[in-house]
Amino acid sequence: MFSYAILRSKLPSTTRLWTPMVRLLTSTSNSTNVPLFDMENPFEKEKRKCILCQHNVIPNYKNVKLLSQFQSPYTGRIYGKHITGLCAEKQAQVELEISKAQKSGLMAVYLKEPCFIKDPKLFDSENPIRPHRFE
Amino acid sequence: MITHELMLLYRVMPKPELVTTLKRTAETLFSRGGIIRKLENLGTRDIPFKISAHGVVYKQASYYVFTFNVPPIAIKDLLDEFERDVDIIRRKIFKQNSPEFKECTLHEELQPAPYRKSVQELIAQARKLDKPKFNYNTGLDYYPFQK
Repeated sequence: MFSYAILRSKLPSTTRLWTPMVRLLTSTSNSTNVPLFDMENPFEKEKRKCILCQHNVIPNYKNVKLLSQFQSPYTGRIYGKHITGLCAEKQAQVELEISKAQKSGLMAVYLKEPCFIKDPKLFDSENPIRPHRFE
Repeated sequence: MITHELMLLYRVMPKPELVTTLKRTAETLFSRGGIIRKLENLGTRDIPFKISAHGVVYKQASYYVFTFNVPPIAIKDLLDEFERDVDIIRRKIFKQNSPEFKECTLHEELQPAPYRKSVQELIAQARKLDKPKFNYNTGLDYYPFQK
């Protein structure tokens, strides 16, 4: 860049060493063959949403059937967000509401209640999306 | 004004007795300057775990939810009063959930670590603990004098 500036000062103003690329594009922008460079990235992926945000679900401690879907049928413990695939906000909400439900005697602590065992699965607990919840 | 929910587990009793108990609970709320907004009956069913209250072990209960407003100072007294009620197995007071909705952040959370905002903040915080390095302000990348 520096050497170019010196050369330019020595040459007459009409002569050009090189034409900048941007100039070329703007001068021919009227023709239909040139792509639009100020468009949005066409390859950008769609934003992923967690299952509760998709369906606009707000977890509540009285909705035990929903909350028990995040509970392990073997130990009654709550699955982490690396398994449930929820966003941090929703995961925290679910965990809070489960603890509220358990404290108020609505939900089992050491097991998943047998009436909820056959409920549809929201995620695969055998294959977590990340190795642990701290990643 | 905070709206609270009072979750109550009554022991299973015949209907007329239950009515008087519910009235007693409502009157306790009124006596503390409260307003009852809603009373829900969640049914009588088996408790998922046995609960011992007032020296008796209970395995069944009637579930009721009072939605109410009360001065915040009265909450402690209310809980104290319900604790002494022999018909109540368990009582919990929760704040009513607000229905506000936030944008899902799952997409940002699934990014590789250095792109995540939480990680960037951690790194910036760690940089603050770096020891200050003396700068010679000579504009040279070496020390010009003999050491």
